[in-house]
Amino acid sequence: MKLTVCIGSSCHLKGARQVVEGFQALIAENHLEDKVELTGTFCLGNCQNGVSVKVDDELFSVQPEICKSFFEEHIIAKLGD
Amino acid sequence: MNNLCTDIGYSSINKSGEELCGDHIDIAEQGETSTVVVLADGLGSGVKASILSTLTSKIISTMLAAGLGIEDCVSTIASTLPICSMHKVAYSTFTIIHIVNGEEAEIIQYDNPNVILLRDGKSVDYPTNTLHIGEKEILRTKIPIYENDLLIAMSDGVPHAGIGLSYNFGWQRSDIIDFLATFFYADFPAKTLSTVLLDECVKLYEGKPGDDATVCVVKIKKRVPMNLIIGPPSSPDDCDKMMSLFFSKEGKHIVCGGTTSTIAAGYLRKPLIPRLDYIDPDIPPTAEIEGVDLVTEGVITINKVLSYAKDYLRDNEGYRDRIYKRDGASQIARLLFEEATDINLFVGTAVNPAQQNPALPINFSIKMRLMEELADCLKKMGKKVKLSYF
Repeated sequence: MKLTVCIGSSCHLKGARQVVEGFQALIAENHLEDKVELTGTFCLGNCQNGVSVKVDDELFSVQPEICKSFFEEHIIAKLGD
Repeated sequence: MNNLCTDIGYSSINKSGEELCGDHIDIAEQGETSTVVVLADGLGSGVKASILSTLTSKIISTMLAAGLGIEDCVSTIASTLPICSMHKVAYSTFTIIHIVNGEEAEIIQYDNPNVILLRDGKSVDYPTNTLHIGEKEILRTKIPIYENDLLIAMSDGVPHAGIGLSYNFGWQRSDIIDFLATFFYADFPAKTLSTVLLDECVKLYEGKPGDDATVCVVKIKKRVPMNLIIGPPSSPDDCDKMMSLFFSKEGKHIVCGGTTSTIAAGYLRKPLIPRLDYIDPDIPPTAEIEGVDLVTEGVITINKVLSYAKDYLRDNEGYRDRIYKRDGASQIARLLFEEATDINLFVGTAVNPAQQNPALPINFSIKMRLMEELADCLKKMGKKVKLSYF
């Protein structure tokens, strides 16, 4: 599974770094290093709704506060399927 | 004309207890490739000396840069300078370094310590002719210059450092040369070298300079072109045009901005690989595109570069951090401030609708202002800057 976080200017200001660090911690915590590939990307053209995050090819908006619940709902749950 | 240019740096210290420096340096550009640097040391110290040296250096640099001869300059000074009521003379010694077309140095010296020429870290003796203008005996030299030559002019406060303290007869010319030669491999910029030399002077004076002291370093270096692009063009149809102009320029290429780097990667048909390491928490990570020397985020990074530029021009306090840090802004700062001599800035004027949100500190007008301010700072550093909008 590929998890991509936008690190462009707008998303940076909306907390991209916290989201990246949140995902890094959650991946380590759940030992998913070999299942989830975390990468960055520049602008996804969705600046108004930052922070832009893509799970495989599906686009989401993730604020730093909902990082954990998002990860549980969209990553862990899907991996369990 | 060839591809050599000058890096000029100078520093002064005041005689202990004086608020003004009696030495003055004036630099005048003459066309694209010639420069006149004048170091003048006014008689005495304090305000009188300051007036004499300021007038002398300004008159000479302006007249020489306008193409007038040294004889005219000297007679103008003789008839212009105010006469000191105490000493009954109008007097300021001077050293002129005139770099002509990046090929030749004309050195004209009147009563200041002789200019030191260091080539490959060794002092080189140069021939001089003596001119008699009025009562004055003036030394004149014309020599070809080469890459990495260092010309060091100074006022007599420098060799007088340490008289009766560390040395009986002051800091001898040969000792100054030995001191300078130790920094040859460090390859310091001119400004740093002049500061290092004066710091040593202050030490020899034991913190209380007995005279004003000034050092001016002229370093001959190769032109290093550098290109930076930020922002997509206002019309998407111009993307290819803007990119082809940018990438056809000689020198290194820096691409700033998410959308801009996506366009650059598309133009080069190479993948854009962002990194995720936050070296500095405030600066977004850099990315990589094959064929581009540096890829960074746009506005936030450039904003930081601008604050570094202002620091560089003020007191250069952040220097120690900037020389090794690997975040995008520090890398841009090193390339622009230290490496480059000629900088092309390509600024795209497309408006990113998402950034027009008043809650975000990065709207369009801020971006334009940032680039103008940065261009100004770079010019103050002595770089040749060309700003183009698309």
